[in-house]
Amino acid sequence: MTTSHRLSRRTLLRATAAAGGAALLSSCAGGSGNAVDLAYWNFFGGSDGKLMVELVNRFRAEAPNVRVTATTLMWGPPYYTKLAMACAGGRAPDLATMHGSRLSTFGRDLLDEWDLDELAARGVSLDEFPQPVLDRVLVDGRLMALPLDTHPLVLYYNTDICEKAGLLAPDGTLAPIHGAEQMLDAGRRAAEVTGAIGIALGSLHEAHIWMPFWSGYRQLGGQMLLPDGGPAEVDRDAMVGAMTFLRDLCDGTICSPSLDGQSSPAAFASQQAGFLFVGPWEVTSARTAEIPFSMTQFPALFGDTPYVRADSHSFVLPTQAQVDPAARSAAYDMAVSMLRNSLAWAAGGGHIPALSAVADSPEYLAEKPVSNYRGAAQVVAFDPEAYFSGSGSTLMARAGQSLQGVTSRALTPEQGADDLIGWLDDQLTLGSPL
Amino acid sequence: MSAGTVAAPGRVEQPTAPRRGPSLVGGRGGIWFVLPFMAVYAAFVLWPLLYGLGLSFFDTSLVRAESRFVGFDNYVRLFADSEVWRTLGITVLFTIGSTIPLVVIALVMALLVQTGVRGQWFWRFVYFAPFLLPVATVVLIWQWLFSGDYGLINAALTGIGLPEVGWLTDPAVGLWSVVLLTVWWTIGFNFLLYLAALQAIPAQLYEAAEIDGAGGWRRLFGITLPLLNRTTGLVIVLQVLASLKLFDQAYILYRANGGPGGSATPILQYVYDTGFTDYRLGYASAISYVFFVLIILIALVQARLSRRSES
Repeated sequence: MTTSHRLSRRTLLRATAAAGGAALLSSCAGGSGNAVDLAYWNFFGGSDGKLMVELVNRFRAEAPNVRVTATTLMWGPPYYTKLAMACAGGRAPDLATMHGSRLSTFGRDLLDEWDLDELAARGVSLDEFPQPVLDRVLVDGRLMALPLDTHPLVLYYNTDICEKAGLLAPDGTLAPIHGAEQMLDAGRRAAEVTGAIGIALGSLHEAHIWMPFWSGYRQLGGQMLLPDGGPAEVDRDAMVGAMTFLRDLCDGTICSPSLDGQSSPAAFASQQAGFLFVGPWEVTSARTAEIPFSMTQFPALFGDTPYVRADSHSFVLPTQAQVDPAARSAAYDMAVSMLRNSLAWAAGGGHIPALSAVADSPEYLAEKPVSNYRGAAQVVAFDPEAYFSGSGSTLMARAGQSLQGVTSRALTPEQGADDLIGWLDDQLTLGSPL
Repeated sequence: MSAGTVAAPGRVEQPTAPRRGPSLVGGRGGIWFVLPFMAVYAAFVLWPLLYGLGLSFFDTSLVRAESRFVGFDNYVRLFADSEVWRTLGITVLFTIGSTIPLVVIALVMALLVQTGVRGQWFWRFVYFAPFLLPVATVVLIWQWLFSGDYGLINAALTGIGLPEVGWLTDPAVGLWSVVLLTVWWTIGFNFLLYLAALQAIPAQLYEAAEIDGAGGWRRLFGITLPLLNRTTGLVIVLQVLASLKLFDQAYILYRANGGPGGSATPILQYVYDTGFTDYRLGYASAISYVFFVLIILIALVQARLSRRSES
C-alpha cells in the first residue's frame, strides 16, 4: 500500500515535470502554430493612451494566438533614449510607435524597413497614404515607418464666444481667417467677449509654442537645412517674421505670455479664451468640459498655402539582434490591424487617419468636428531634419527657450532669431552622433 | 560584556592565549568577506569610472556601432561650448543659494527643538519626514503648490494682497523654486546632524556658564556655536557636494525642458541631454569628467580650509 502510494506520487511528479517542460518548450518554439509573443512599445498617456489600449485590445481579439505585451513609456526624450538604447543593444521590442519626425535619427541604423510585399499581402499599399507624410517616412526610397495618423496644429474655437464676437459665418462655422492681422483681430474681439484672453496658447510649453512658430516660418517661405558641421541654412527674415507674429500675439490680451501646457487647454475649456492653438489631441478636454466648440484647419497667416506644423504617429520595426519570423509577421498583422481600426483613434483623439480607406470613409467624414481639418494632411510641414530635431527633441526644447524669450519680451524678434540661429550653429559644429 | 573580561584596576592584563582558527583581521580568510563588496564596487563604480574616462577620448555615439579615437578633441570643444558654462553657472548658483539656507535653517531648527520644547519627538519627526519622501512625490506636491492657476502658494499670496509669482513660468524665479523645494525636502538630514551634535554637548558646560551668569545668547555664541564648528564644517561639505549634483528634482519639475527659458538646467542635465537625448556619449563623458574634477577640487579646498580652521 505504502509502496504503491509512493510510486503513484513519483509518477505524478514526473508527469507534472514533463507537462511543464513541454509547455516551456512550446512557448519557446513560438511560431510552430502556437502562441506568439509580441512586444510593443508606445508613449501614449492620457486620453490617447486609452484609445491605444482599445486598438491593442482589438488586435488581441482578432489574433488570439498572439500574446501582446504593450508597454507605455514616458513621452518625450526618455522614450526615444530608451528605444535607441534598446535598438543599439539588439533587444528592442518587435513593434514600436515613433514620430515620423524622429526618423532622421532612427531611420538610418536602428530600424528595419517595412517589406512592401508583406504589407501588400495584408492589403496595404503606399498609394493609400498622404504624399507629404509618405515623403517623410521614406528614407532613401525605403519605407522606414508605417504612418498611423497625421496630427497637425489645429484651430479650436468656442462657437458661443465667436458668435458674440461676430466671427462666425452665416452657416455657424468660423468665418475664414486670412492673414496674421485677421487672426490677431479675431483674438482681440474674442478677448472683449471673454473679458480674459482671446486665444489660449501654451507659450511656456516648448511643443505648443513651436507649432505656430514653425507653421508661420514655413508659410513665410522659410526652409531650414541643418548640415553636419554647420552653419545652419536658415531664412532669418522668415524667422523674425514668425517670431514677430508670436510677440504680437502674446500681448497679454490676445494671448497670455505665461500659460503653460496644462493651463492653455484649461483656459479654453473654462471659456476664458475664444480660441485654442494646439494639436488635435485636446479635443478630449474640450468635450469633457461640455463647452460649445468646433475645430478647423489652422489658417494661412502668411502667403496662400496654409502650411501647418504636423507630425505623424507611425509604427516602426526596431532592429533586433535576432528576429523571430513569427513575431515579425505578428508585428505586421498588428500594425495593419491598428491602421484599419484607426477610426476610433481619429474620432477619439482627433488625429487625421493616415490610411485613405479610413480617411475617406463616410464614418470618418461624419465625425465632427475632427474631420473638419483633414485637408491639413496635404499641407503638413514637418520639423527640419537633424538628429536633434523632431517631437520631444533638443531642438524643440531649445527653440522653446528662444521663443519664450520673445513672447515674454525679454528678447526682440531679431534677438530671438539670432539666439536660435546661434544655438543651431553651435549644435551643428559639435558634429553628428550618427 | 561579561565580568570576566573586565581587567581589574591596577592589574596588568595578561596577553590572551592565541586563538584557534583563522583570524578575521590578519588571516588570508578575510578577503572572502570583503570580496562581495569589492566585486560590486568594481563592477558598478570602478569599471564605469574608467570606462567613462576612456569614452571621453572617443566620439562614441549611442546610435552608431563604431567610434573613433579623437584624443582631447572633446575636452577642447567643451571649453568653447557656451552651454557648458551656462549650465555650470546655474549649478553653482543653485549650490550657493541652497547651501546657505540648508545650513542656517537646519541649525535654527535643531536649536529650537533642542532648547526644551515639549513633544520633541513630534518636531523631530515633522522636520525629518520630508527627507523620507521619494523625489517624484516631492516634485508632485510642489508642482501643485507652485501652480499658477490653482496653486496654494499663489492663492495665499493673492489672499494677503500680494501679486502672483510665476514659480514655474518666470525665468527669474524658475531656479529659486527648485531651491525652495530642495530646502523643504532635504533639510531634515542636516537638522538631524545638528541635533546629534547638540545632544553631545555636555550639560555641565551650560550649568557652569549659568552659574557664572551667562545669559541665553552668551551661551549660544560662547558655547554652542563654537562646539558645533566641526559639525558645521561637515554639514557644509556634504551640502555643497549634494547641491552640485542637482539633477532629478529639476529634471522632473520641468519635464526635462530645463525650466522657463532654460533657467533651471543644471550641468548634469546638460550631460544627460548630450549623452542620452542627443546620443553623443563621448562628449557627454568629457563634460562629466571636467565636472568630476571640479567637484574633487572643491572638496579638497574645503577639507584644507576646515583643517586650518580646526588647528
